[in-house]
Amino acid sequence: MFKLFKTILKTGEATLKYPFAPMPISPGFRGKPEHTPEQCIACAACAIACPANALTMSNDTEAGTRTWQLFLGRCIFCGRCEEVCPTKAIVLSEEFELAVGNKSDLYHKATFKLANCTCCEKPFAPQKEIEYTVDLLKQTGMSAAAVEAKRNLLQTCPDCKRKQSLQVTDKVELTRFMKKGSEA
Amino acid sequence: MNEPSKIILPGGNNAVTQQIKQSEEVQKLKGTLLKDIQRSAYVYRVDCGGCNGCEIEIFAAITPLFDAERFGIKVVASPRHADILLFTGAVTRAMRMPAIRSYEAAPDPKICVSYGACGCSGGIFHDLYCVWGGSDKIVPIDVYIPGCPPTPAATIYGFAMALGLLGQKLKAGNHVQGESERATMRHPGVPAELRVLIEREARRMAGYRRGGDIADDFLGVLGTKSTESLEARIQEYLGKGDDPRLTEIVTNLCEISTRAIAAN
Repeated sequence: MFKLFKTILKTGEATLKYPFAPMPISPGFRGKPEHTPEQCIACAACAIACPANALTMSNDTEAGTRTWQLFLGRCIFCGRCEEVCPTKAIVLSEEFELAVGNKSDLYHKATFKLANCTCCEKPFAPQKEIEYTVDLLKQTGMSAAAVEAKRNLLQTCPDCKRKQSLQVTDKVELTRFMKKGSEA
Repeated sequence: MNEPSKIILPGGNNAVTQQIKQSEEVQKLKGTLLKDIQRSAYVYRVDCGGCNGCEIEIFAAITPLFDAERFGIKVVASPRHADILLFTGAVTRAMRMPAIRSYEAAPDPKICVSYGACGCSGGIFHDLYCVWGGSDKIVPIDVYIPGCPPTPAATIYGFAMALGLLGQKLKAGNHVQGESERATMRHPGVPAELRVLIEREARRMAGYRRGGDIADDFLGVLGTKSTESLEARIQEYLGKGDDPRLTEIVTNLCEISTRAIAAN
């Protein structure tokens, strides 16, 4: 009997003090994804990686904005968004107290501006993504002047690029001529 | 997305679900229940077609380690005893009627809790043909506990919130891009080619997420300007963790960076 009490005393209390004391969290715990919108370039890599579609991106071409949205109610805390983020704008924090009374509190949104194509003047890519590309090119060792020369190309949408790169050569003209001839 | 679909589906009304309405009287009663419950709150667990991960965490929450019973939260076997109904799972078509039956069987006033990612919104199954996607599609929900599955601590927090003991921490966020907002480069001091080599090697050896973290730490050490030699700084970084696996990875990364620097 005494031996039992001794063992009990030695073991101590196993129960965690949780709601009254902070919960001890082990390293590598995957809690609420914390988004730093200032660092985000709205590249949508996270939205593609998200297996549960908790992260979504939607474009509003009329207003020229792209909206990033995280619906925590759908998040499975896998950390794929953190893996793929090129700027570490999204990091899984240690926050786990996520219960809410109102479902709308589970939505987190961030709106980013889209840049217009210099050629057709339609929005095509987030402003910050283009700025980031410029920075990246500078980091690869390209001179500032060379990057500025490329800027026009960077701010052109893929459709316009394709049209611009289509050069009217003699050969193209010849095939057109031959087609016309065969139709007639 | 919450509105019933406008598309005409085979099965007519069976293809549309509506939340059960609560009368005002019941809502008033609920307020009094929360104010002076003065006894244990009994919880009944309604499995609406989940993977059982949530159930395991609920039972982990009532084990001696977390011990939800010290707050009087007790899991009971019948909905007729319950004050709190805990809905887990994405609400499959087959489990909708049993879930509604257990909701009806519980005496008013009752608190309904949506548990887990599937309970909150359908989770990873949200767009399957065979699920309704969330318990709030069938019953009025008071508290949502997200997580896949929620940890026992998150469960206890959710229970405390359902009983009105703790307040809500999470708030909806909305950010609009400001003027001259610009993302900063991660490691401006390190050449881009070397950074790619290091990230690739670290991820090859330690897996994608952990490898990314190691590469990030290593690049941080590499990129800082200090009077100490690189080796001394790396030794300092390795000394913190004292992990042989990390040492091996970092040694590899060091080799790669010295080779790359020598080549240039």
